[in-house]
Amino acid sequence: MTKQEQLNAINDAIKQTKTNLKPLGFNLTFWSIVIISMSLFHYFFPEIVQYSYYSAVIYWVSIPLLGMIYTTYYNIKSGIKIGYETQLDRVIRIIWAVFGLAWIFTVGISLLYNVNPVQDILFLLGIVLIMTGLIIKFHNITIGGIGLLIFTVYTYYNPGLNLLLVNVIGISFGMLIPGLSLYFPKADFMLHYFHVVEEEEEL
Amino acid sequence: MNKEIEKLLFNPIRLKTISFLMTVETCNFKALLEITDSTKGNLSIQLKKLNEAGLIKIEKYFQKSYPTTDYSITKKGKSSFEEFYKQLISYK
Repeated sequence: MTKQEQLNAINDAIKQTKTNLKPLGFNLTFWSIVIISMSLFHYFFPEIVQYSYYSAVIYWVSIPLLGMIYTTYYNIKSGIKIGYETQLDRVIRIIWAVFGLAWIFTVGISLLYNVNPVQDILFLLGIVLIMTGLIIKFHNITIGGIGLLIFTVYTYYNPGLNLLLVNVIGISFGMLIPGLSLYFPKADFMLHYFHVVEEEEEL
Repeated sequence: MNKEIEKLLFNPIRLKTISFLMTVETCNFKALLEITDSTKGNLSIQLKKLNEAGLIKIEKYFQKSYPTTDYSITKKGKSSFEEFYKQLISYK
């Protein structure tokens, strides 16, 4: 092996390291759909969810916990498929794990003091989205996080707002749209959507 | 630079392995097979040599009852690669 061949071998190996952002896009999209569906169901069928105090608690704790188990399984599986973890992957994983712990803590405190945790969770989510967007240099997520943060601050000054609808609007703009745009890389997800629609119409 | 390390990194599979491990936290055998473009047997031998020299760390564990192996670079591996790379650049 000549010196040049050795340098080429090093460059080839380094070039093959890519941070795969698709799992993060999947996680954001998955959680957005779960939370939006849960909020809408609660909004339209309050008599079922709020049948008793504990039924609402069980509803808002058990489904997200099942979601956590599923996303943990998905992340382990996608990690095995990709085969390696970069430093960036590790940082993102730790940030979202800390958010998960903060979510459990916030829900626990809200149960103890009988307060609604929606605004606190949205505030935390906004901060974590901004951090993630800045770290991976993906503007859609940063803008989504900033939007979510502004929206959450607005709700603090307007206490009459329905927090379930706040959840739906905040998560849609702050998490669902950025998550979808990350899941469909290179192109804007709306362009991807229109392309799919056009193809279906042609058929 | 240590002649033994220089000799170890002269092999393209070992060099590609160390270079790749410099950029990731951990990695499995399948990913290394793709990166180095080698056979399972050959890669296993080269990984064993790198491990014996203390340049990489091999961790074996069970995941969902399947045996899994993770590879990562050691401090010695990092400093050896940096020294080796500096030397390569200086020759250029």
